Amino acid sequence: MKKQLLDNIISKKNNKEEFAIVTNISTGKNFIFEKNKIIDKNFEKYSDEINNYFNNKQNGIIENTDIFIDTYLKPIKVIIVGAVHITQFLLDYIKNLNFEIFIIDPRDYFASEKRFPNMNIINKWPIEAFEEIKTDSSSALIALTHDPKIDDPALKHALKNKFFYIGALGSKKTHLNRCQRLKEAGFKEEEINSIHGPIGINLGGKSSPEIALSITAQLVLESHKL
Amino acid sequence: MKNISDEKILEEANLWINDNYKVALATVIKTWGSSPRQVGSKMIVNEKGEFLGSISGGCVESSVIDESLQLIKQNKPFKKIELNVSNENAWEVGLACGGEITIYLEQIN
Repeated sequence: MKKQLLDNIISKKNNKEEFAIVTNISTGKNFIFEKNKIIDKNFEKYSDEINNYFNNKQNGIIENTDIFIDTYLKPIKVIIVGAVHITQFLLDYIKNLNFEIFIIDPRDYFASEKRFPNMNIINKWPIEAFEEIKTDSSSALIALTHDPKIDDPALKHALKNKFFYIGALGSKKTHLNRCQRLKEAGFKEEEINSIHGPIGINLGGKSSPEIALSITAQLVLESHKL
Repeated sequence: MKNISDEKILEEANLWINDNYKVALATVIKTWGSSPRQVGSKMIVNEKGEFLGSISGGCVESSVIDESLQLIKQNKPFKKIELNVSNENAWEVGLACGGEITIYLEQIN
């Protein structure tokens, strides 16, 4: 592999692009595959197979050939609302996974650089913050303030944009009240039921790092259903 | 789909190269039976034998380090290596997954 190819891969990854590195393992030749772009002439005859691997988000060798495809997918966006104590532990776990993480909190004393060094922190109300983040059905929301003023607008945005995972912190009672508010706001029962509340799989723990772990487990579980 | 740890390996490789190390990149390209790391998993090795990442969870890393050192020493561009995880290669760490993996090893230069 040429150093230049390595530089290209790193820069494409930083730009959150989706691509594949296609290598002929008997000649060492390689090229960067991108959807709807011209395929290197050395690999033209494998065009259909390469597209298939890429569309199926797969890595592997095309059967009966020496062509290896290594697919690079853009990370899943995870938006955390609430720069709270649990968030600090949650980041410890999820930063090692293939997620692009954003933290939203309108309270500047929570959303400080000192509490969250080197993170994407948006110190705005969720409605304004979501204008800066392009979201879709492959995005996830973790609402952790349990303050309706902050969490509810984010939950509504996530429901409207059909996020694949929506979780909200709060007791069963808090969650029932939340569901009632969303119902009054016009959301369907089926949409409201898609919210994981109380958030996380039940591991039995109640401490911040334990709750963070249970949220991580649920997020990973749901992300593999995509 | 890759785990972020595999993707970060390439950034580490870049840092090593910028520090004037010679670097070999090992990628799992095929697996049979039960092998611990999926296709696309990566490991980097420099000429001092230092390595980062993982291609088998510990079973065959030492063979791949040896192969990498040879590749760098002989200044070859790439090599394909087939490894049987269940045989004597595995004794060092006591793992015997019973799988086989193929590794594509290449120099970055």
